[in-house]
Amino acid sequence: MSTINLQEVFDASLDQSDISAASRSLRNEAMVSFHETGFPSRKHESWRYTDLKPIVSGGFDPSPQPINSQQEKKATQEIEKSILDSKALRLVFINGKLSTNNTFPNEFNGLSISKKTESYKSIDVLQGKELFKDYPLAALNTAFSQHETLIMLDEGIQITKPLHLIHINSGTEPTAIQPKIAIDIGTESELTIVQHYIGSNPEPSWTNSVTLINQNKGSLLKLYRFQEYHHEQFHTELLKSRLSNNAELKLGYVDLGGKLVRNDVHIDLAEPGAACSIDGVFLAMNGQHIDNHTLIEHSAPSTTSQESFRGIIGEHGRGVFKGKVVVHRDAQGADAQQSSDNLLLSEHGEIDAKPELEIYTDDVKCSHGTTVGELDLEQLFYLCSRGVNKTTAKGLLTFAFANTILQRIEVPEVRKRAASSIAGELPDYQNWGGLL
Amino acid sequence: MNNTNLLQVSDLHVEVEDRTILNGLNLDVAPGELHAIMGPNGSGKSTLAQVLAGRDKFEVTSGSIQFKGSDLLSLEPEERAREGLFLGFQYPVEIPGVNNAYLLKAALNAKRAVNGEQEVDAFEFMKLIKDKMELMQISTDFLNRSVNEGFSGGEKKRNEILQMLMLEPQLAVLDETDSGLDVDALKVVATGINTLRSPERATILITHYQRLLELVVPDYVHVLYDGRVVKSGNKELANTLDERGYDWVKIETENK
Ligand SMILES: Nc1ncnc2c1ncn2[C@@H]1O[C@H](COP(=O)(O)OP(=O)(O)OP(=O)(O)O)[C@@H](O)[C@H]1O
Ligand SMILES: [Mg+2]
Repeated sequence: MSTINLQEVFDASLDQSDISAASRSLRNEAMVSFHETGFPSRKHESWRYTDLKPIVSGGFDPSPQPINSQQEKKATQEIEKSILDSKALRLVFINGKLSTNNTFPNEFNGLSISKKTESYKSIDVLQGKELFKDYPLAALNTAFSQHETLIMLDEGIQITKPLHLIHINSGTEPTAIQPKIAIDIGTESELTIVQHYIGSNPEPSWTNSVTLINQNKGSLLKLYRFQEYHHEQFHTELLKSRLSNNAELKLGYVDLGGKLVRNDVHIDLAEPGAACSIDGVFLAMNGQHIDNHTLIEHSAPSTTSQESFRGIIGEHGRGVFKGKVVVHRDAQGADAQQSSDNLLLSEHGEIDAKPELEIYTDDVKCSHGTTVGELDLEQLFYLCSRGVNKTTAKGLLTFAFANTILQRIEVPEVRKRAASSIAGELPDYQNWGGLL
Repeated sequence: MNNTNLLQVSDLHVEVEDRTILNGLNLDVAPGELHAIMGPNGSGKSTLAQVLAGRDKFEVTSGSIQFKGSDLLSLEPEERAREGLFLGFQYPVEIPGVNNAYLLKAALNAKRAVNGEQEVDAFEFMKLIKDKMELMQISTDFLNRSVNEGFSGGEKKRNEILQMLMLEPQLAVLDETDSGLDVDALKVVATGINTLRSPERATILITHYQRLLELVVPDYVHVLYDGRVVKSGNKELANTLDERGYDWVKIETENK
C-alpha cells in the first residue's frame, strides 16, 4: 500500500458515529499493534518462503467504497454460477460485507447470525495484544474490519443442513477486503460450515480474512474452507480456534485458485479430550504461490490431532507447508499425527514442506512425515495403453493423489466440485459414482 | 510390404540407457494367427511387448513396425490402443485412487469415440461387463476397487484379460499372462484368450510354459534370443523347448 497512508484511512474509517465503544477500542488496539509490527517480512522465520511484497506494494485500498448496484448485480450473477448447494443455508459476503442477498432466516433452530458490535467474552479472549503481535495481518484485519459477523449456536442443537458462507470480491479498483467472522458453538451442539471463496474478477484484490472460533464442551464443528478464486487474487487468512472439553473440530482446506495465498491456522486444544483434524489439498499451478502454516497446541491431557496436507505443484507453482505441533507439559496422553505429501508435476515447481514438533511431556504419541514425488510413469503408461489420453491420464492420477484427502470432506457438493476441478479433463466425473 | 499382415516388425533395433536390447528383430503376424514367443529370461520379450505398446523409455534406433498397414511407431500409446492394440502387462501396475470401473469405462469410451460411436452409459457398461467378469471369475466388488491395488498375482492377470475382453483388440500382446496362475486360473485365462480368437484378430503370447500352449494352441512358436527371433516353428517347437531347454538353440545360433 505504498501510495496509501494507512493511518489516515484508518482515522477516517473510525470517524463514524455508529461504531460502538467496544469495537472502537479493539480496533484502536489492533492499529497500534500493526504500527509496531508492520507487515511481516521474510526475516520472520514463519515468512521465510512467502514474500508479501506484491500485496504491500499493490495499492490495495483497505477501506473500499461500498459497491454500487451494478457491481452487486454482477456479483450476484457470479454467485449463481458458483453456488455449490442451492438448498443450503447461505450467507453472502460481497467485499466482506454481509449482503442482503442471502437465504438465511435470521433465526434458525437456535442458530443466530448478527453483526458483532459489543464485546463477547468467549470470542474476545481469542484476540488482543498477543494475537495481534503474532499475526500482524489479523491486527490489520481487525483495525479495518467494519462488518464483524457473529455466528452463534445455542446449547444442545444439531444442525445437519450445512451453512455456506460465500465470499465474493467485486470491484474495479484494487481493494483490500477484511472479512471477520466469529463463531461460538454451544455445549454438545453440532454445525457444518462451508467457507466458500469465489471470484472470477480479474481485477486483483486482496482478501485478508480472520475467523475466530470458540467451541464449548462436547461440541462438533466441521468447517470446510474452499477457495476457488481467479488466478490474480491475493488471499491471507487466519483461523484461530479454542476447544473445550471433548469438543471436536474437523477442518478441510481446499485451495485451487489465487495468485498468492497464505493460510494460518492456530488451534488450541485447551481442555481434556479435545480433538481436531485438518485435511488440506492445494493446487499451485502456473505462477501460484500457496502457503499453509498451521499451529496446533495440545494444552490438556488426552487431546488428539490429526493433520494431512497434500500439495499438487505444477509449472512454476510454489507450495509451502509448515506444520507445527506443540505438546505442552500438562498434555499427557496426547496423540498428534501429521503428514505432508506433495506431488510435483513440473521440474519448475517448488515445494518447501516442514513439520515441527515441540514436546514438553513424556507420555505422548507423535508422528510426522513429509514426502515429495512425481507422477509415476509406469502408472501413466498403463492408463495410456488402455486408450486414455495423456492429459486425462495425468488428471486421473493427480486426482487419485488428492482424492485420499477429498474423500474426508463430508459435504458432497464441496467434494465433487474440488474433485472435478483437480481432475481437469476427467470426463463425467459425477457419473461414475453411479456406475454401481 | 505384405498387405495381408496385421503386424510387420522389420529389423527392429531397440536401446535402453545405451544398451542394445533388440538387435534386428523380425516378426510378421497375419490376421487370425496366434504366435507364441518364448525365450530365456532377459532375452527381450517384454521389451518387444512394451515397444509395441509405445513405452517411450525404449528407444527404437532403427527398423520399422507396421500395424494395419501404417507406421505404428509414430503413434502415441493411447492412439495404438484405440487402433486396436492391447498389451497385457507382465507386471500390471497398481494405481491407488483410480477406480477400476472408471478406467474400463474411460478406455471403452476412448475407443468408441475414435469409431464415432456413442459413449457407454452406466447401464450398458454393466450389461457389457457382467458376463465377462463371470467368465474371468472376478467378483463385481473388484469394479469398485482401485486398479490392481491389493490384487493377488493371479487376480491381476485375470483383470488384464478382463480388460482385453472389454476392449476387443485386433492384436493382443499378452506378456506372461500365464505366469503365477494356479491350474484353474490358467484355464480361466485360456478361455478368455480363446473367446477373442477370430479370423480378423491375432494374438502374440509371450510365455515360458508349454502348459498354456496346450490350452491355447499356437500357429507359430518363436524363440527370442539376444534380441532377435533365432528360431521359428510350429507348436512342436514348444514341446521340444519344454523338454530340452534353450541351450541347444543358443549353440545352434552361435554356430551360425
Ligand atoms: N530400463 C532398463 N535399463 C537397463 N536395462 C534394461 C531396462 N529395461 C530392460 N532392461 C534389460 O533388457 C533386457 C531384456 O529385458 P526384458 O524385460 O525384455 O526380458 P524378458 O525377455 O521379458 O525377460 P523375462 O523372461 O525375465 O521376463 C534385460 O537384460 C533387462 O535387464
Ligand atoms: Mg518379460
